[in-house]
Amino acid sequence: MKSPLLKKNQKMQELVKILKKSNDFKHVQYMNEQTEEHFSLMFMSTMVEEKIIHESILPFLLEGNFHRLEDVKKIVPLEEIEFSEDPLEIEKKLFNGFVVLLLEKEKNNYCFLGAHKEVGRTIGVPEVEFSVIGPKESFVESIEQNLNLVRKRIPVKDLIIEEQTIGKYSKTKVAILYLENMANTENVNTVRQRLQEIEFDQITDSSYIIQIISDNQNSPFPQLLDTERPDRVSSSIIEGKVAIIVDGSPHVLIGPTTLVEFFSSFEDYFLNWLISSFFRLIRFFAVMFSILVTPVYVATLSYHYELIPRDLLNALVASRMAIPFPPILEALFLELTIELLREAGARLPTKVGQTIGIVGGIVIGTASVEAGLTSNVLLIIIALAALASFTTPVYRIGNTIRLLRFPFLFFAELWGFLGIVLSFCILLIHLSRLTSLGRPYLEPLYPPRRVDFKDALIRLSFKHQTKRPLFLNSKKPERISAKKAKEKKDIDE
Amino acid sequence: MKSIYTAISILCIYLLLTGCVKKEILDEIYLIESIGFDHSKEKSNKGMIVGTILYPIYQPDQPPKNKTLTAEAHIKKSVLQEIQLQSANPIVTGSMEIVLFSKELATNEGVLELIDPFQRDPAVGSGLYLAVVDGEAKELMEGNYGIRGNATYFSNLIENNIKNEDLPKTNLHKFLFSYYQKGQTPFMPQLKRISKEKVLLNGICFFKHGKIVHTISPQEMFFFRLLVDKYSNGLHRVKIDEGEAAIRSIRSVHRFKLTNRFPKEVTVQIKVHGIINEYTGTKVTPKVIDSLQKEFEKEIDEECKKLIESFKENKIDPIGFGHFMKTQIRNFDLTDWTDSQFQNLIVKLEPDVTIAEAGVIE
Repeated sequence: MKSPLLKKNQKMQELVKILKKSNDFKHVQYMNEQTEEHFSLMFMSTMVEEKIIHESILPFLLEGNFHRLEDVKKIVPLEEIEFSEDPLEIEKKLFNGFVVLLLEKEKNNYCFLGAHKEVGRTIGVPEVEFSVIGPKESFVESIEQNLNLVRKRIPVKDLIIEEQTIGKYSKTKVAILYLENMANTENVNTVRQRLQEIEFDQITDSSYIIQIISDNQNSPFPQLLDTERPDRVSSSIIEGKVAIIVDGSPHVLIGPTTLVEFFSSFEDYFLNWLISSFFRLIRFFAVMFSILVTPVYVATLSYHYELIPRDLLNALVASRMAIPFPPILEALFLELTIELLREAGARLPTKVGQTIGIVGGIVIGTASVEAGLTSNVLLIIIALAALASFTTPVYRIGNTIRLLRFPFLFFAELWGFLGIVLSFCILLIHLSRLTSLGRPYLEPLYPPRRVDFKDALIRLSFKHQTKRPLFLNSKKPERISAKKAKEKKDIDE
Repeated sequence: MKSIYTAISILCIYLLLTGCVKKEILDEIYLIESIGFDHSKEKSNKGMIVGTILYPIYQPDQPPKNKTLTAEAHIKKSVLQEIQLQSANPIVTGSMEIVLFSKELATNEGVLELIDPFQRDPAVGSGLYLAVVDGEAKELMEGNYGIRGNATYFSNLIENNIKNEDLPKTNLHKFLFSYYQKGQTPFMPQLKRISKEKVLLNGICFFKHGKIVHTISPQEMFFFRLLVDKYSNGLHRVKIDEGEAAIRSIRSVHRFKLTNRFPKEVTVQIKVHGIINEYTGTKVTPKVIDSLQKEFEKEIDEECKKLIESFKENKIDPIGFGHFMKTQIRNFDLTDWTDSQFQNLIVKLEPDVTIAEAGVIE
């Protein structure tokens, strides 16, 4: 039997042997000038700030008066100084930007000095969810900065931040944020448990988490809201929701969520309620339009000629006169063209991307009409439908809508309006069964909850927003007292 | 396992429902907009019906071209079959606007058999217009009216006259309603071809047992509308000593009242609100308005009575007095209504004309 001491030493040597294969691993020997103690520093040069070593660590270690490892705390002016006897800890700390201090005398004790290097971009303007009015900060990749952005918006002790590490190799830090006496414990437990149970080698982005912990992974609908706006996150937390911040991802997840939240932009809360309600209704209309208009065109032209108004017949038939394809092929051709344009536009660098617009809009559109491949009526319809699908404030749901069009199109071709109704039924069945962290996804439409309509299809004024959303089952359902929310009369009157 | 079941069920739905809907691609069908029926002219085909269909050929940047096809057969559906032999695309009835019957055919043979298929066809709506042609339907349909196609022209002509002029509301639904209603007989507007590019609405034809028995002129249409339709907004000329005025009725209400049971007497109250559109005299004074009102009332009374007398003569009841009696008298017997009881009915008129406005230049 080896003694535990020997075993530890052996482990230490093995570790150093592997580490030495990497060029950025540094192991340097020093001697204290006063006490003539021999000590060495181990660090990864890519992870530590060398300025800190030269200015805040080395001068004190070389000139200061220390005999034991514990003395370091007194002479080195750093906040993060930790001690451990576990050699396994060395690996963890090294890659987190700590400098490991080893004393010749105390081989079994290690001291870790924090000297993190901050690499990353600075906080910028939100690009996906830009709003003209309201804060212009957006999340960045560093979890510390992101937590700071949220914390400073909710400076109370009730805001709990629970961190855990997920991913066998990526060791990604993931934080759960919630308000202690606001969020439903069940929701918090669900999130915590699902995160703990994740078995995956790497978590590169919060999108991984969305897909892994979703209630139904086969659904095209996103079941957690992702946002890059700190204001949206803090407002959701105060509503009683749970937020998940993933290190390395500028997108923060919010759950539980509902379908209507994907159609509400956070700017809605910055505008007057009448205006924002109007915009919301426009968005819902745009989404329905985008999904249904091409299938309705195909169904009407293939099956239900009776429905076409008399005055429209001339325009429709005349535009289709020279086209050799049935409506479905014509529609598919244009839909695919738009998808190709979008896909190419997303892949190309910004500067080249502008050409795609010209190529797509003018060349393909006009030319295909002139060549008699598609009718100009359909061209207008498809272009409008594509435009309408971009009105969604959350990027993720926009993609879902683009995908949904194709099954509708397929069934419209098979059975006309009967097919559209059938696919709509299937969609509704799917949506009404869907849950987000166990909470109904279609709420307040199904289950119908009258109170929650105050902030769903339309947004009523703040005077009416006296209750937290019902589906969250918050510990404090009252937001403000309804009595106090009433308008107060001017004293002069 | 679950997904396999889903896949199988979707496949089943697909297979079972494939035949449920018939595909009719818009540009690969002929949309009939109008059908016309005539008597066969040839002696060998006596008793057969000539059917003419009218369908538009749509062209880019041009008004649709009118095209007609004609065939002879015994009943309507076989007319369509005969015509199908001449057409390159399937013929569909879903966007039909108007059905035309030649007056000769409608007087001698009757229209009921010809109308029957339209009320059974689910693709044909009940808003379909029916009209009689003073002359030959085929000839009328071969003309060229307006830029939107002939059928659209006919139906717009009728629609416009219903909405803004003197023609009472009429369509397939109304025709069938008054046909099946006991104590009421149906009517149809009458069209006449004037030239190759002109068509005229020249009266209303009244039917009994599906055959035309009586026709009134456009001048009488105004009074007929006052009797049958709720709102009339036709124009009528009234002559008094001081001059002649054109009065546009902006609102009219008619009400029936059973005023006496032995002998049966019905009072028709007609209230007309009108404005003066045109006046040939010097100045419209309250006195002139008063005499205009009186004169108009007198005219309504006379003309309506004349109309009702003519209906009595022809043993028809398009206004529906019989139906009205049945609503007022318990166990009212309608079996010989038009032949005997209607003849003895006393109809009194109580016109009430109010002229509300005489124009802006007062």
